[in-house]
Amino acid sequence: MALIEKLQRRIIDLGLLPRLIASLPRLSLVCAMVGICWLTVFIPMEGQYRRTYISENALMPSQAYSYFRETEWNILRGYRTQVQLLQSVGPHQRNEEISAWLQEFGVKTATFVNEEGKETLYGILNAPRGDGTEAMVLAAPWFNGDDEANIGGTALTISLARFFNRWPVWSKNIILVFSEDANATLRSWVEAYHTSLDLTGGSIESAVVLDYPGANDFFKYVEIYYAGLNGELPNLDMVNIAVHITEHEGMKVSLNGIPEEQLDQDDFYSKLKTLMRGVKFMALAGARKVYGNEAFSGWRIQSITLRARGEEGPFDITTFGRIPEAIFRSVNNLLEKFHQSFFFYLLLAPRYFVSIATYLPAAIALSVSFTLASLNNLLNNSYSSASLLSLYNIWGLLALSVALAISYIIAQLLAYAQHPQLLVLSSFVVSFIPILLKNVKIMAPFAYRCRAFAYLYLSIILTSLLVVNFALAFSIGTLAFPMTLVKNSVTSKLRLKNCLLLLLSNPFISIWIFGNLVDDQLGGIQMFYGFISAWKNLGCWTWFIICIGWLPAWLLVAYSSIATSSISIVDESQIEAVKHKKTL
Amino acid sequence: MFSRELQVVVACLGSRFGVSLVFPLLQQQLDKSVEFSTPVTSYRSLEEGVFLLRNDFPVYSGGVVHHAPLLVVLMSALGNSALTSLLYACADALIAYQLIAMTRCFPKSKIPAWVPGALYVINPLVLLSSVSKSSVVFTNLAITTALLSAMQKRTLVAAAAIAMAGYLSLYPLLLLVPIFSLLPQEKLKVTFICLIVLSGLLLSSYKINNDDWNYLFSTYGVISTFSKIIPNLGLWWYFFVELFEMFIPFFKAVFNLFVVSCIIPFSLRFHDQPFYAFVLCLGWITLTKSYPTLGDGGFLLSFVPFFQPLYGYFRYSVISTLLFIHVIVLSPIFYHLWVDLGSGNSNFFYAISLVYALAVSTVLVDLVWAMLRIEYDNGTPNLNLKLTSI
Repeated sequence: MALIEKLQRRIIDLGLLPRLIASLPRLSLVCAMVGICWLTVFIPMEGQYRRTYISENALMPSQAYSYFRETEWNILRGYRTQVQLLQSVGPHQRNEEISAWLQEFGVKTATFVNEEGKETLYGILNAPRGDGTEAMVLAAPWFNGDDEANIGGTALTISLARFFNRWPVWSKNIILVFSEDANATLRSWVEAYHTSLDLTGGSIESAVVLDYPGANDFFKYVEIYYAGLNGELPNLDMVNIAVHITEHEGMKVSLNGIPEEQLDQDDFYSKLKTLMRGVKFMALAGARKVYGNEAFSGWRIQSITLRARGEEGPFDITTFGRIPEAIFRSVNNLLEKFHQSFFFYLLLAPRYFVSIATYLPAAIALSVSFTLASLNNLLNNSYSSASLLSLYNIWGLLALSVALAISYIIAQLLAYAQHPQLLVLSSFVVSFIPILLKNVKIMAPFAYRCRAFAYLYLSIILTSLLVVNFALAFSIGTLAFPMTLVKNSVTSKLRLKNCLLLLLSNPFISIWIFGNLVDDQLGGIQMFYGFISAWKNLGCWTWFIICIGWLPAWLLVAYSSIATSSISIVDESQIEAVKHKKTL
Repeated sequence: MFSRELQVVVACLGSRFGVSLVFPLLQQQLDKSVEFSTPVTSYRSLEEGVFLLRNDFPVYSGGVVHHAPLLVVLMSALGNSALTSLLYACADALIAYQLIAMTRCFPKSKIPAWVPGALYVINPLVLLSSVSKSSVVFTNLAITTALLSAMQKRTLVAAAAIAMAGYLSLYPLLLLVPIFSLLPQEKLKVTFICLIVLSGLLLSSYKINNDDWNYLFSTYGVISTFSKIIPNLGLWWYFFVELFEMFIPFFKAVFNLFVVSCIIPFSLRFHDQPFYAFVLCLGWITLTKSYPTLGDGGFLLSFVPFFQPLYGYFRYSVISTLLFIHVIVLSPIFYHLWVDLGSGNSNFFYAISLVYALAVSTVLVDLVWAMLRIEYDNGTPNLNLKLTSI
């Protein structure tokens, strides 16, 4: 205790607190830099990441011999030829045909038609052992994310089902799903499975989506996609067994579609690239191309997509089939749920990861930097002594609620009348508010309080996103950071600077620029449609968070950057307080 | 000025009743959240009790209802939901009115009388708690009634109200101790009346409950033995999830002692500031009770405006504000991660309930420090003098 007392006296003697308060803008900047560097420089460095390991011993990937080999190839080819023929008929007829094949070897089938009228065929292979309260899903969308016909994937799923059926080892039901696409149709089936379907097979533990476009027999390597919607990830064990099995069969693994030529690299930059690619996939999940595993987010289902790449290569389609076979054998071994410890991770390579405690400081530092910026606007000006219930605070809070209401209306309006061009254009115009409204003046304390509330609000949003959706918290924090550098527009130079900062930190302009820079799929205005359709069809919150979390803060800062007139505080309570102090 | 106070009370009534009418589904949503509803306060279990009572089933043998029998009878007499909403709104408006009346008991106070009432009305925690129809509202009403009547030296009402509060949720009975210092001449009388009223309530409950004492365990037993292990913002449920069976009785005893432990010391030390001692004890119960809700926390915060002369001494006000904001934002998120998504675990939510406890305790510590400082300065704030608290 004496030590702490000494420390406190020392801090007061040195006048550390006033100095810290004076340097708040610098501290805020430093915090943001630390946050960004933490993820991009520190984590990919040797010694910061760990090698992955299977945390649940029962999984035992590739411990049993895989039997899906050349003997099944003929059956698979037969189904594939038939599936190719079915390309020309309508979905309903096609599903009836496949349903008949499945029923031949004892699969119970049913079709689900969603609100848009798209059909999903699914079948349940009941477990010969166990009580049938748990299930594993094998899904093959008829058309994959690239709109290619998933001929290999569907044929493989049917022949795997036939193969599984001959085996007495299953203690969990196996559900086969053939949806029209990997996007909204699959999602609506998953939702219906948990709410309204009659034919069900217990709670789904895991889901594997097979994506093998084309009718080619051979392929080169395997891509694994794992990022779910709203920042959800499958248990790391699920990804680990998939990677382990694939590499055990001799194939190369590419996480999140890393190009083939980069697969052999193992240096700082390749790790950084894989890491940032994972963050990008998490942040933009739903808005980008959807691979199928996203559809299972939100129901405690560990789901991944396996995708075969390359038209020719050393591996045949049965090798690809052995991956789901071994994954199903592994998951089948599970007696409990997947282990608790690995739901939050970032992968730097198929076999390297960092867990939450290591990467979370990056987003925390960004959130703290916004809090510091808020304190700076509260304390570092002549209006800091205004009392808690002064008019400026109440006005600031009111302005925040108005900004929230406007943002909410914009979010709703845009979901119905989809005109993102108009949105970007108006954001562009509003960013020039400091120059456009040259002659309008607001009172300086309002400007400070507005900014303080804006930064505090954004900081709280970022904090609440930290654990739920780290990638989104990090991206919003980074992209919105220029906002904190806005100052009161006193000179014309400052005015121009504020305009540029506002332009950079506007949610729509900034994600538009950034999206076009980092992702070739989200060209032009396309990404807004992606976000909105993800919100409407997939239940992905990203668009809503951008509108409700980021936009109000930006609106407040834009408002505060109108030219200000400084006033002396004439708050009555303030004068009274001063008098009160004097009399004492 | 009278009109301003009336406006506050009407605003309270209107906002509670209006929100219940405009968002009828909000009540169920809030009642499902662990922050605003616990097994002993939730409206769902109260409705269950009403259903059982109306159909002549034994109310307390199912282990679902943990409300006092008289409350169940009152609710079953009211019947339709608009009427119950109005009852909750009226109870809350009455609390707001009593807060205003309390301010008038401090003639030297600098804040206008309507301010504490208005702050109570706009406090979102209290608003949501009232909309969720948590029975905390009635306990709080009994507590404010007791405090106000004790300040106005109406012994009978004060003692009866404390008995009522204890009858509804057990722990407020401890507030009898600080009431003694508010009514120093009539300790015996207060005890006596309180005992009579309490036994009257218990006996009539016994009669209503078909001559069966089993309601005692379902109501007070559950509160004091923590036997419903359901996550809440309190400090203790986690222990009973994690502990070995054989240690549990010991910890039950310790946690109950813990609730009692600080009541008498607070009342003795701040004997000369009985109102302040009462609020401290209330804070202590909020911090250590077995099934707290955010409604309790919001109620405690409504008493802070009364201590306006102490504001200068508060050292953690920014920290406690930030803590409260973060608890309110993060606790539903962490609960969602744990229970809905399954990616988090119970530690996530318990960590947040620890942060909540920290928030409440920073408020308490700040209050205690401020009062001790003003005593040191002989009643006139001397903010320039710096003292270390350690």
